[in-house]
Parts: sequence; structure tokens; C-alpha cells
Amino acid sequence: MPAWALKLGSVLTTLLVLVGSADYAASHLKNAHAPLQPPVAGTTPAAAAPTATLPPLVPLRGRTRPPSAQGTPIPSLQPSVRTADLPPLTFTHTS
Amino acid sequence: MDTTFWIVARATGLAAYVAICISILSGVALRTSVLDFVAKNRAMRSLHDFSAWIWIPLGVAHVVALVLDRTARIAPLDALVPFRTDYGQLAIGLGTLSLDLFAVILVTSWVRRRMDDGLWRAIHRASYIAFALLFLHSFLAGTDFDAPVISSISWAAAAGLGILAVSRVLWGRLPE
Repeated sequence: MPAWALKLGSVLTTLLVLVGSADYAASHLKNAHAPLQPPVAGTTPAAAAPTATLPPLVPLRGRTRPPSAQGTPIPSLQPSVRTADLPPLTFTHTS
Repeated sequence: MDTTFWIVARATGLAAYVAICISILSGVALRTSVLDFVAKNRAMRSLHDFSAWIWIPLGVAHVVALVLDRTARIAPLDALVPFRTDYGQLAIGLGTLSLDLFAVILVTSWVRRRMDDGLWRAIHRASYIAFALLFLHSFLAGTDFDAPVISSISWAAAAGLGILAVSRVLWGRLPE
């Protein structure tokens, strides 16, 4: 067999493998049984599951709003009716 | 996510493996008579010299695609220095080591006339070691190695080359 035929056969064989394996890889993008499973980039526990946080409550009574909060409504979860630190009333009649 | 680099990396890896098999097979055939029924030594030598130009671009494309692929997370330095990756250190490092060895073998072949013949032969025989490392790399890291067709071709090629290499070492030029 001449040298050119050997070279042509080698190139064609390699091209056949290249095209065939590209087709196989495209149709089997992920292999769950692959020996290497690289960790997905940017999935630290904190980044993967962000938790919703509420802004800290800002008591308005007797204080001024911070400059960054001027003009914006601030939600308050504090109850509007509270018990006072006073002895309970036991006598309500006055003359 | 763009999967182009991932597909190119896998396809060129397998194609480079086949091209290197052809290169080593034609090299072993030069010193044995097992392929005399296919072609004479002159044609086989021509194929052996030419085969480097098949696997070089495929090997380079394999490495470049892995470096550019976001999933594989291979740094450019990982492609040159073995055992540096943060996962699959052995599996990927064997491939890097194999690549480095093949690069040395290739460069020394290009400057063979300026080298001592004994030294060149010793370095060139390291291609058997480089191929063994390459096979281990594909076995330990190859995403498609568990596919029956790919696995059978890879194992058959490695076993065939292994038998020829051992025969060459034990008996020299094989009888016709």
C-alpha cells in the first residue's frame, strides 16, 4: 500500500472518530456516571440559598430617621398596644 | 450555558487518542514485521512522520477547549504543570504529564540530527510510557469511556499496542 493511502486512511479514520464522538457528546451532554464531576462554579452554600432578611426595625418615637431612610416608608412590626410597667388598677371610683 | 467547548473537548480528546494510537502503531511497525502485509517500511515511516500532524492539532484543541470551558475549570497552568487542579488531580494530572512527555518526544524528534542517537532513542522510547499515561488519563477522566463502543475501541487499541510493545521488547523484530 502506498504512503499516501496510509496517510489518507489515517486522516479519514481520525475524522470519522472526531465527527462520531462530537455527535455522541452532543447527544449525551451530561453523563451521570462520568468519573469526574467538577464542582459547579459559584455555588457556595451562602450563594446557593440566599435567605430573605428584613431590614432592622427603626423605632421612630423620640428619634429621627436616618438620612438614607428619609421619605421612604419604614415597616414596623411592633405592636401598637402595649402593657405598661405600672401596678394594675384596683379602685376606679372617685367622689 | 454554552456547551460548545465541552463537546469540542470530548470529541478532540477521543480523536487525539486514536491519532496517537496510529502514530505509535506505525512506529512499532517500523521495528517489527507485523504490518508488512499492509505496507513496506518506507511507507510506514512516512505515515509515522505524518501522524504527528494529525494528533498535534487535536491535542492542542482538546487542551484549549478544556481551558475555555467553564465547567471543566482547568486553568492554563494546569495544562502544563501536572497535579495542580482542585479536583481529579490524578486523572487530569496523568493527562498533563502525558502531554508534556509527548511534547518532549516531538521536539527531540525535530532536532534529532543535532542529538546523540542513544539519547534520542531513550527519549523516543518514553512514548510507550506517555501512551500508558494517556490511556490511564482517558480511563480515569474520560466522560465517554463507559460507552460500550468507545470503551471497546479504546481497550482494543491499548491492548493491541501493549502486546506489540511487549513483543518488541522481548523478541525484537518479530518473525514474518
